[in-house]
Amino acid sequence: MPDQTVDRAGGARTAPPAVHVEGLWKRFGEQIAVAGIDLTLPAGSFIGLVGPNGAGKTTTLSMVTGLLRPDQGRVQVAGHDVWLDPVEVKSRIGVLPEGLRLFERLSGRELLAYNGRLRGLPGDEVDKRAGQLLDVLDLAGAQHKLVVDYSTGMRKKIGLAAALLHNPEVLFLDEPFEGVDPVSAQTIRGVLERYTASGATVVFSSHVMELVESLCDWVAVMAAGTIRAQGPLAEVLGDAPSLQAAFLELVGAQGRDNGKSLDWLGGGAR
Amino acid sequence: MSTASLTSVFVRLKLSLLRNGLRQSSGRRAAFIVSMVVVLLFAALQLLGLLLLRGNEHALSLVVLLTGLLALGWAVLPLFFPSGDETLDPTRLVMLPLRPGPLVASLLVASLVGIGPLFTLCMVVGSAVALSHGAVALLVSIVAVPLTLLVCLALARTVAAANIRLLTSRRGRDLAVLSGLVIAVGIQFVNFGVQRLGDAGGLAALEPAAAIVRWVPPASAIGAVDSASDGAYGAALAQLALSALALVLLLRAWRRSLTKLMTTPDGSTLAAASEPTRGPSSAGRLHGLLPEGRTGTVMQRSFKYIWRDPKTKGAWVSSLAIGLIVPIFNALQGTGSIYFACFAAGMLGIMMYNQFGQDTSAFWMVAMTISSTRDAYEELRARALAMLVITLPYMTLVSLLTAAALGRWHDLPEVLGLSFALLGAMLATGAVSSARFPYSIPQDSAYKNVAPGQGGLAWLSLLGGMVMAALLCAPVIVLTVLLNASAGSGTQGLLLPVGAAYGALIAWAGVRIAAPQTARRLPEILTAVSKG
Repeated sequence: MPDQTVDRAGGARTAPPAVHVEGLWKRFGEQIAVAGIDLTLPAGSFIGLVGPNGAGKTTTLSMVTGLLRPDQGRVQVAGHDVWLDPVEVKSRIGVLPEGLRLFERLSGRELLAYNGRLRGLPGDEVDKRAGQLLDVLDLAGAQHKLVVDYSTGMRKKIGLAAALLHNPEVLFLDEPFEGVDPVSAQTIRGVLERYTASGATVVFSSHVMELVESLCDWVAVMAAGTIRAQGPLAEVLGDAPSLQAAFLELVGAQGRDNGKSLDWLGGGAR
Repeated sequence: MSTASLTSVFVRLKLSLLRNGLRQSSGRRAAFIVSMVVVLLFAALQLLGLLLLRGNEHALSLVVLLTGLLALGWAVLPLFFPSGDETLDPTRLVMLPLRPGPLVASLLVASLVGIGPLFTLCMVVGSAVALSHGAVALLVSIVAVPLTLLVCLALARTVAAANIRLLTSRRGRDLAVLSGLVIAVGIQFVNFGVQRLGDAGGLAALEPAAAIVRWVPPASAIGAVDSASDGAYGAALAQLALSALALVLLLRAWRRSLTKLMTTPDGSTLAAASEPTRGPSSAGRLHGLLPEGRTGTVMQRSFKYIWRDPKTKGAWVSSLAIGLIVPIFNALQGTGSIYFACFAAGMLGIMMYNQFGQDTSAFWMVAMTISSTRDAYEELRARALAMLVITLPYMTLVSLLTAAALGRWHDLPEVLGLSFALLGAMLATGAVSSARFPYSIPQDSAYKNVAPGQGGLAWLSLLGGMVMAALLCAPVIVLTVLLNASAGSGTQGLLLPVGAAYGALIAWAGVRIAAPQTARRLPEILTAVSKG
């Protein structure tokens, strides 16, 4: 499909969707983690995949990035099938998974050097890019420390650097801000904003609604293994005052008893 | 809160932890029941043995040394199994309003719950019964048995509390993981030590050691039983007093470190902040020596992991050590054959098995960069090459040393040829089983090398692989037998090039076969290695 190769800066509208998912299913034993979802994520956007814990976000992202084999369904990234055409897909995507380790007995710089060379980039180029990424992500001071001694925020940042090293078209980040301190979060945010401004796509999962609302221009809401809503942020928001409110309405979690039984809690009598 | 009610809280906490741990999986429950039965059987047998020992002239030596050994075990155990007992870690109690005095008392009582204390109790009761003759000795026993048990427990707790900073830091955990190595290699030495003891005139050799240990707490409490049986009441009293004093001192030391732990900031954060960083120097130099591209990159990471990852390091060092000890010691004792040198090839070849399990879930980084059979082939070949860099010279060295110890130089080429063929076969089967039967290696424990539920898989892969490797070596083995039978003088030298060529060919074929399977099964491999 040669007509789909488009100029990334200018012609985002004619590009194939960054991600196209059809009828994706995954079952773990009795439990259905992902129950037949369809998704079309436009290229060049900052996309948030939101949902409560256990909604199937991680499972979905793992299947989209080729780390987990779906029971059923089709996944295309930038117009290429993830399972039939891994050569095209793997060079185009960057991934920061959640709950998987890094090679923690390498230092931050060694991890980047290792990852870049495995990706087939020339050594000099890897070292140059690694140096710049470490600087921008505020890791230069810790670059010779082993990753096993990194804090959560530093791990997320070095993982992000490894995912960006080969300049992917689509970046998948699973909970990139989970357990990250505000300073690191701001750094990550700055890098991601710069990256999408150039026409690349970021897909990230989160359950922090404020963050998604302030960062994303496109949102998919997930609950119990299904997609409840997807579309531009304004569309998903509708009349709701915030994404939080819209989300609670979509997943049907409003109007729970807010704790009359806790009447002893607070000042006064012990 | 009073000491009594606090104690009951801790005892119930311990029981709940035990129960909930068992509820997690049926495998764990089965393992617990099996270990319970085995320990109880073992304890019963020991008890029986100790009862039979009653009246034996060496009874005192054996019993006293046994008690000393038990106490040593209790002192060392928490360092090796830091996560074994969650109530051992007093930093978990920091936020609770507890005074150290009642805390020490109730933690001590709570630690009486468990298989370990039960086993120890059996041993100590048996020891006392083996030595006690007469009413006074019986009375002394009644004091000595609980005293010994409490000293053991207090010892474990004190050591754990004193080292908790070390145990909860990364370096401490690394150390604990490496301890498996100490045990693996230690067993070899103990094995040869016991053989020596058998030669050196038996149990009488233990007498001088026992004469000292019977005055060392908590063995001195058991020593008191013997003294009382002999009518040496003064000595008995002194020995009991020694043990009691030890208990008091231990409890005070424990209390002091508890107080300090609960009133000072957590040391692990301080330690992490001041962790020394490593210089960039070595990495650059290594890059120059290794080939460009995936091959060099993967080899370099393999080497770094052998040196820096405690689990990988432990496995390598014990393989290297046992691969050397078995042929050399056997040769030195005059029982060995030069063919034992092939043992090194077998031990080291095992390291090729479950390659991706050794990566842990970080394998995703590798999986993301493998998009063709060619990539998978280069990945596996690089890992095999990294192994060869170490194993080839080492195997040659072991063969040389074995030949030197036995003085059979003319057999050297033959043994080397066999070793090379065996190593090649191990690499080949290792590569294939890495792709077909990957399993998780838990990283937190030195003793668990397989994640729960994957034990069968691990055995299948290792055992099946080794049988396959032996079968693959059969042509070279048959050739060796034939050449030896024909007794031609010069022809045995032929085995070196033949074995080497055959090993290289078969290793290459194995990697070739494993590559497409690896490339096809990436998500399945990742799932299998992410359970630890």
